[in-house]
Amino acid sequence: MKHEALLWLLILVPAVTGALALLLRSARTILGTMCAGVGISVALGWYVAGKVLVSGPVSAGAEWLYLDALSAYNLGVMLLIYGLSSAYAWVYFGTELREEHLTLKQARLFASLWCGALAAMTLVFISNNLGIMWVGIEATTLLTGFLICVHVTGESLEAMWKYILICSVGVAFAFMGTLLVGASTHGLGLRAPEVLLWTTLHAHAASLNPACLKAAFIFLLVGYGTKAGLAPMHNWLPDAHSQAPAPVSAIFSGFMLNTALYCVMRYVPIVEAGTGNTGWGLRLLIGFGLISILVAAAFILFQHDLKRLLAYHSVEHIGIITLGVGLGGLGTFAALFHTLNHSLCKTLAFFAAGRLGQMFGTHNMTKLAGAMRVAPVWGVGLFGSLLALIGLAPFALFMSELQILKAAMDSGAILVLVLFLFGAGVVFVGALGHAIPLVWGKTTATVQPARAGVLETLLVVLPLVLLLVLGLWMPGPFQTALNAAADVIRHVNPVSAVSLGGVTP
Amino acid sequence: MNALSFIPLLLALILSPLLFGVINRTKALFAGRRGQPLLQTYFDLWKLLQKGAVYSRTTTWIFRAGPIIGLAATLTAAALMPLGNFPSLIAFPADFLLFVGLLGLVRFFTVVAALDTGSSFEGMGASREVFFSALTEPALFIALATLARQTGQLSLSTIFAASSDAHWPHFEPVLALTAIALMVVLLAENARIPVDDPNTHLELTMIHEVMVLDHSGPDFAFIIYTSALKLWMLGALVLGVMIPSSGGNPWLNLAMALGGMFGLAVIIGVVESVMARLRLLIVPQLLVGAGAVATVALILTLR
Amino acid sequence: MTDLILVLVMLTNLKLLASSELGASIRVVAVQGVMLGLLPVLAHVHDLSLHFAALAVGTIALKGAVFPWLLFRALREAEVTREVEPYVGYITSILVGLAALAASFWLGGRLPVSTVGASSLLTPSALFSILAGLFLIVARKRAVNQVLGFLVMENGIYTFGVGIVAEMPFLVELGVLLDAFVAVFVMGIAVYHINREFDHIETNRLDRLKG
Repeated sequence: MKHEALLWLLILVPAVTGALALLLRSARTILGTMCAGVGISVALGWYVAGKVLVSGPVSAGAEWLYLDALSAYNLGVMLLIYGLSSAYAWVYFGTELREEHLTLKQARLFASLWCGALAAMTLVFISNNLGIMWVGIEATTLLTGFLICVHVTGESLEAMWKYILICSVGVAFAFMGTLLVGASTHGLGLRAPEVLLWTTLHAHAASLNPACLKAAFIFLLVGYGTKAGLAPMHNWLPDAHSQAPAPVSAIFSGFMLNTALYCVMRYVPIVEAGTGNTGWGLRLLIGFGLISILVAAAFILFQHDLKRLLAYHSVEHIGIITLGVGLGGLGTFAALFHTLNHSLCKTLAFFAAGRLGQMFGTHNMTKLAGAMRVAPVWGVGLFGSLLALIGLAPFALFMSELQILKAAMDSGAILVLVLFLFGAGVVFVGALGHAIPLVWGKTTATVQPARAGVLETLLVVLPLVLLLVLGLWMPGPFQTALNAAADVIRHVNPVSAVSLGGVTP
Repeated sequence: MNALSFIPLLLALILSPLLFGVINRTKALFAGRRGQPLLQTYFDLWKLLQKGAVYSRTTTWIFRAGPIIGLAATLTAAALMPLGNFPSLIAFPADFLLFVGLLGLVRFFTVVAALDTGSSFEGMGASREVFFSALTEPALFIALATLARQTGQLSLSTIFAASSDAHWPHFEPVLALTAIALMVVLLAENARIPVDDPNTHLELTMIHEVMVLDHSGPDFAFIIYTSALKLWMLGALVLGVMIPSSGGNPWLNLAMALGGMFGLAVIIGVVESVMARLRLLIVPQLLVGAGAVATVALILTLR
Repeated sequence: MTDLILVLVMLTNLKLLASSELGASIRVVAVQGVMLGLLPVLAHVHDLSLHFAALAVGTIALKGAVFPWLLFRALREAEVTREVEPYVGYITSILVGLAALAASFWLGGRLPVSTVGASSLLTPSALFSILAGLFLIVARKRAVNQVLGFLVMENGIYTFGVGIVAEMPFLVELGVLLDAFVAVFVMGIAVYHINREFDHIETNRLDRLKG
């Protein structure tokens, strides 16, 4: 009973905070309330997630709310990112308030939409009903739309319009997929409220209509893939992530893309069992993943804007995660591990980009040259995160990518291996080519060196340390939790070498 | 071919000029006038037949042949069109293709005769006429194809005999759509508003009127009679779709068909009174729209 | 009766593809929404429960009154009435629409779903609406036309839902309706902002972000 109440609270707390933010009078109080509300949600969420990872799934609301290992893990990661980003927003907007760039109206808009987006994303994770999960995703699209243009400029409006239209169309396709999944239960005699419940579908997966499921999965992958930023549906991503204020970009890259991918992951075991474990769906995932990696690699080479560069990195890493899930077995484990690593890393990168942008007044990389000299703390943060992003050892991203490579090797998918390495290599060279002058180049702009406060230093050090630690040592309980989460997706056999067209071992 | 199959042809020959009278009377009543006598067209035909014709020196034998060939083709086409439950005089599988072809022949010779005068007004009307008919013919063909496919018959007489009461509930949307498309085709082919204004006296706005500007005397009488017959025939086509032939008394059906024909004339009169002609740039959209409606009907039939 | 409504819906889609006046387009989409709101009521006319009736009333009110009002307000702010030279001309649009209709019928026959609903026209009509909506989003320049395309797409998906899922949980349908409302609301506000910033609402001129 207590857990059920907690599940409901997880949505109510952010919603109430958001509503409260609309009523307060001072921008600082608003930001403070927002941080407090997020803090409470983080505490509650981690408690519930911990409980689930230790003792098993929890459900409430006549099985409409449900938290199992997969959603608990993702919830935990999301709350971590949200917590860090809220602290950062305090710093970032604090500076803006000092320079009087932020009006009361904008602060209210930001805080209420921020909390609303948290509530919507929580809804996605804790809902068992796939229709409500879809409602949550569409809600995140609409709520975060205006977060992009907190500061109204021509470019931010253009980015917002593209984002809202493309993602709404994509999510509409995902709804088609949801309907088709519901239709595949035709003939099983399920009662109306149960048709879209994940637990019911999971239990009956083997007896669902395979043709229907295949059509559904294509729609779902394209639809949710648009929201996740899989190429070739990623066109909104660079614009939205580069034009939004830094805390919002951190949330987008750090967690919203993963939320959409989580929705796809939810359907994978059902589709796999429904289509007879042939790995049909997994092959599609591998395809999209590879395309995303390669497209991102191509675009990273000639970027001028720092935040756009980071946005394309997001496309690449989402591709890597998708590839991992598609490979199955160790790959799924690695993909989930990678969600944590990528989120931490990308969040830090956007933090740094945001603060440096505030100091320099621009995000153009040539104008940002020599950042380390001007702001040592954030310069370290930026360089460290860029290094981690391109997969440098011993950061945790290197470990998760290595595990995915091993999974590909184990399955004998040599072509996949080669393409992945090629893409990763191009990204490595390209990003490093941008990063070194960025951090150590000659300073062209005359900027006041700014001292970083305690909170800022903490925000830089904490993620970097976590990434280093996780890269070198995986704690036992964490590994068990990851395995439990991965098992939800892969309770089927991993993809065999024959079906991938590779060498039979 | 029995005696009864002469009836549609005879009725067409005798009663078609009356349609113009009904249309003009309707328009007059709308305008608050008493209007021309109902039989005015007959008087005009009689008057014109007794006059002499004037031929320009720039014209050739095509100019003289145009109206005659037009009348001959239209009379042949009238022999193909059934009315009510009575079959037409000439009926064979795919006779609707001949029907459309004959109408095309009439149009061709009208256009060529117009071009033969060497006048720019006629040329302008000819180009418009050809353009609009290029858009109308697909609609006509598709509508006829739909009817053929829906009833499974290939001759006009058997198509209309087959679309009886029993079929109506099943065909509802398809027949309604076909009727709408054919109605627009009727208005376009017969140079009625909203495609062409038969009452205008400004040559720059005419399409059909300007093509026949230079004909006089008996030639002009032939042209007027041809238009009347064409209106009757296309009207019979629309009626065949809209009014199902019930399996009962054939004479009752014929009465209903005649009533429907004059009702159609009244409707045309009403349309002419309440609407103005569409801008020439918008007419193609109307015609393509009619074609689209006919295509929707065809797709619904083919599924 | 269901057949008649679906044929009318198909005709409204064709009319949308051919229409250049934005006010007329908004009204046509409203009519389409109202007709589709009636569908589930007609499909379940024998076991009409409160939930169907409430949903139908809600859908009709939302799609027939609220959405047009929001969109007309956006139009008035932007002071536009007509679409500007679209990428694809109107007659070509009708021809593309007819091709899409044929494709929808072909695809509808081969889709591996058995229609639970009363009519075999449901799946083709749904697919056609989706394709027509996508075409409007891609081929038109004014932002309001793109919002209308999105609404038509949602209508198509809704028709699809009515056809293949016997009974959707009430809350989910309510959630979907609410999402559509918020989407149109948000898009309306976005159009207002775009107009204020750029003094036009032609999306092809929003091209500062490249690469």
